[in-house]
Amino acid sequence: MIRRVAGKDVLSTLRDTRAIVSNLLIPLILLPVVMLGLPFLLGGLFLRETTTVTPLGALGLEHAPAELIALVEAQAATLERVDDPEAAVREDRYPAAIAIPEGIREALAAGEPVTLDVYRKTGNMRSELNAGKLEAAVAGYRQQLVSERLELAGIDPALLEPLRIQARDASTEAERSSGQLSWLIPFFIAIWALTGGQMAAIDATAGEKERGTLEVLLVAPVRRAEVVVGKFLATTLFGLWAAVMAIIGFVVGGLVLRSLFLPGLDAASAEMVGMMGGQLTITPTMVALLVVSAVLLAALIAAVLIGVAMFARSFKEAQTYVAPLSFLLILPAIGLQFRDLIGIGEALYWVPMLNAMVLMDDAVKGAATLNGVVITWLSLSLAIAALLAFALRNFKREDVLFRT
Amino acid sequence: MIEVQALSKRFGGVPAVDGVSFTVAAGEVFGLLGPNGAGKTTTLRVLATLLAPDGGSARVAGHDVTQEAEAVRRVIGVVNGGMGLYDRLTGREILHYFGRLYDMRAADIDRRILELDALLGLGDALAKRAGTFSTGMKQKVVIARAVLHDPPVIFFDEVTSGLDVMARRAVLDVVRAYPSEARAVVYSTHVMSEVEELCDRAAVLYRGRLVAEGTVAALVEQGGESNLERSFFRLVERSGLAEREAEAVPA
Repeated sequence: MIRRVAGKDVLSTLRDTRAIVSNLLIPLILLPVVMLGLPFLLGGLFLRETTTVTPLGALGLEHAPAELIALVEAQAATLERVDDPEAAVREDRYPAAIAIPEGIREALAAGEPVTLDVYRKTGNMRSELNAGKLEAAVAGYRQQLVSERLELAGIDPALLEPLRIQARDASTEAERSSGQLSWLIPFFIAIWALTGGQMAAIDATAGEKERGTLEVLLVAPVRRAEVVVGKFLATTLFGLWAAVMAIIGFVVGGLVLRSLFLPGLDAASAEMVGMMGGQLTITPTMVALLVVSAVLLAALIAAVLIGVAMFARSFKEAQTYVAPLSFLLILPAIGLQFRDLIGIGEALYWVPMLNAMVLMDDAVKGAATLNGVVITWLSLSLAIAALLAFALRNFKREDVLFRT
Repeated sequence: MIEVQALSKRFGGVPAVDGVSFTVAAGEVFGLLGPNGAGKTTTLRVLATLLAPDGGSARVAGHDVTQEAEAVRRVIGVVNGGMGLYDRLTGREILHYFGRLYDMRAADIDRRILELDALLGLGDALAKRAGTFSTGMKQKVVIARAVLHDPPVIFFDEVTSGLDVMARRAVLDVVRAYPSEARAVVYSTHVMSEVEELCDRAAVLYRGRLVAEGTVAALVEQGGESNLERSFFRLVERSGLAEREAEAVPA
């Protein structure tokens, strides 16, 4: 009987073109585009900006030492004369500018300190990037001057650097390649489980009420529990379908984009892509953990959706009830970005919904522990059972069934 | 076939059905006659096991509506004016779905669909999706679905509201033809002419109470008027419930 109820809901939702598009096509396309396409695009733009020779403004260009001009040109930039460097940058005539004071050569020859003003628009990525070129050139020139002066004074430059720092990366390969934005994967799976399940759940509950078909179903010899479980399975299936499409989209999109674009990027751009998650290493364990967690998360979301949407009198009303659920998913996803700062203890694996996202994040980073997996899956299963009991109670309440 | 004894149902302390009793024998079309809010739909929902009664008892085809709800649901069919269909399923798919819920075999469902097509003229509705149906076509499929498993008891609740004259006639013909030695119909309406045409006996309900019961001729006689409509008002007037309602409404 459960299979028959679920089968009807699946067939009915499958014939809804909007459901197919939102369940299949969008997650299949959106995740690779955002997760991988965006970093690759940014990497490409970064590469273009760092290699293209950019004209930058300079006040007092005639005073500039030749060595400094050469170092600026080495940074893929040229200096052009401006009268007001601040206005030139503010009005977007140049992405960055420098002010070279009169008498710089004499002051340097006398060993006096000289201040060079570098103008930029804070928060403007292109401006910051080009101001960086000017600062790198000035830093290079400063280093050159220091070396010359020390040499003249007969001092070994090593004396100025008695201690050195060597940064060593202790993270695993999976952690390194998962990047800063690895939290997007659990977030997308959760959001698509919600989006995919939502349409089926509302159609199967408030939609049935609105159409006047629920009453017909309830006078048929079907137990309320069978109705609830049937609708829950159909909702889970669609939520899961969308989530799996998102995972497939990610895996296939990642492979294609990586093989097409990564070889064309220079080391710095490739590093940026990697930092943002563009070089994720997919392992069978990771996929298994993601899939099982996605199944349980989709089931949890489906149970919530069925229980909540049943209260509504109409499709529209149900949509307003389930809309806040996306915040329940967004908040933990935002928290995941700062999980290393917050510090995640084992207790967190008992919190349904949040635990699935944390575990998926662990899986992506190759950091899942047996305890984390067991606690998360157990907690999710218990929460699903409790939510199904809540949904069943709603299906038995006369004030819910005949709310007008 | 149906025994209702002192049935009561309250919503938020307000009685919707208040001590209603009646019986319906096999072969009868029994009418529930009353205006909106009389308690007709609530009575039928209790009999259909959708609502639990607060007092009294009811048995349908020998099964108690509270103790044997699932058994009751196997022997009833329900049609009401607000019932809908699954818009993205064809008429045939809808009938198959419900047939399977009644544990009917696919071949039996197909055979029954042929019979119902001949009786109701389902025609194109079997192959088209319900979202494209006219109101009349939709109501025919709703009725076909309700009688698909050949239930001994069927409840019709305001089934002709919103139907055009042709569709209404088709529905009334089905109601009239349905009862047999082993089957009974409860027909709820506020349209007096439908009761006069269809019902062997009827109960007049008003504000949750049963005001009068009997054959149409007996009701007219009890009212002491020339037709059922006039007698209906006279019976309600005599019950004193109308005055109580007027007193309860502030001037």
